[in-house]
Amino acid sequence: MTFDWVGLAILLAFVLLLLLFAVLGRRWPAAFRRLPAYEGLSAAIERAVEAGERVHVSLGTGSVIGPESAPAMAGLAVLSKVAAATVMSDRPAVATTADGAMAILAQDTLRSAHARVGAADRYQPTAGRMLGATPYSYAAGIPVVLATEGVSVHILNGSFGAEGALAADFGERRHAFVIAGSDDVHAQALLHATADNPLIGEEVFAGGAYLNAGVFHGASLRAQDVIRVLVILAILAGTLLRTLGIGL
Amino acid sequence: MKIGAWILWTAVAMAFGVVVLAGYFVEWQTLLELRLLFMRWAILLSATALLLGILNLLAAHLHKVNLQESGWPYSALLIVILLGTLVLGLVFGPDNRVVLSLFEYIQLPVEATLMALLAVSLAAAGVRMVMRRRDGYSLIFISTALLVLLGTAPWPFGGAGLSTTFGWLRNWLAQVWAAGAARGIVLGVALGAVTTGLRVLLGADRPYGD
Repeated sequence: MTFDWVGLAILLAFVLLLLLFAVLGRRWPAAFRRLPAYEGLSAAIERAVEAGERVHVSLGTGSVIGPESAPAMAGLAVLSKVAAATVMSDRPAVATTADGAMAILAQDTLRSAHARVGAADRYQPTAGRMLGATPYSYAAGIPVVLATEGVSVHILNGSFGAEGALAADFGERRHAFVIAGSDDVHAQALLHATADNPLIGEEVFAGGAYLNAGVFHGASLRAQDVIRVLVILAILAGTLLRTLGIGL
Repeated sequence: MKIGAWILWTAVAMAFGVVVLAGYFVEWQTLLELRLLFMRWAILLSATALLLGILNLLAAHLHKVNLQESGWPYSALLIVILLGTLVLGLVFGPDNRVVLSLFEYIQLPVEATLMALLAVSLAAAGVRMVMRRRDGYSLIFISTALLVLLGTAPWPFGGAGLSTTFGWLRNWLAQVWAAGAARGIVLGVALGAVTTGLRVLLGADRPYGD
């Protein structure tokens, strides 16, 4: 039996930092930098609820199995908060995805959000749905959802490829409030052009913290910052050592 | 509140997650076999979930047709084509010429059209971005996009010198600035993905419901 000690140490550091900041976060809440996308979201949701319009959360085209599930998992935290805020409106939030398993998770998240605010009877299983099994068939289904459901807030928080740009553009064409983020670098570049409120880099994972989804979400951002600084220091040290001709 | 239920789901998720994760860090044959077995179960469950997703899609559109909501004829068309494809696939098998034709002559052209539409959408979005967001980032974005286009496209005038200069500029932007920035972004995404996964493993996030 052999161990990857470096990997295990980094993982352990992550877990300890996460738990530490979760405990500290209850006493000393974190102050996050301004993110215009999330700052505008609350007001946009309030406007949608008052106007009888709907909030749509897209969890992307990635599968539950694989690394592309991470942004969609973060999207589920956003969905949970958004769903709880819109449960009592005429048109509660809807969530769509291109993966069957992710659609089931979206339904579970919506059901939990409804139960949490005491409105379990208002839950509709079709509010969390799979639009298409391939990325472009999913993108093709987006305009129909936006038009027929009367969507005015369009949140893209999941794994997207180039089809994400189309999905965001369909929202912009309807003059909806569009927030869009992906884990794919190329898709982020496209979303920067097509969405009014793009999420760059790890911002796609920050929704839960900015929407107060729980202390662990804030702790995640703090733990990421600590590890990021350590990684930067390691890169600088490695560059310096290589420049001086010292091999690692 | 069903306290027992969510504790059970959380324990199951944590136990399976820890075994699969440990397989990446500990090289032990039993653990590796167990991880492989769990991954196979996950693939099977994912395939079953795809079927449930399609049933859910069918239910959503049937509901729309029943209530004759706006755009219901499109929903009706979707149901007819979905069931038609399913019946053809079940009767003739997935390798049959007719079934393959549905994908080859309907699905592929439609998806290719959407890909082509992306280029037009991006051009329009670029103009829209300049009109709406007049800040430094937008200026850098558009300037870079234009320089990369100038360095990629063939030049009808100006000779080889101009083409070489813009080609060099494009490579410098793509290989130095863009690649460096992309690495930073990927690093941030990786950190975010790790903490998101750990939240699920620790039971702090329960996407499977409370």
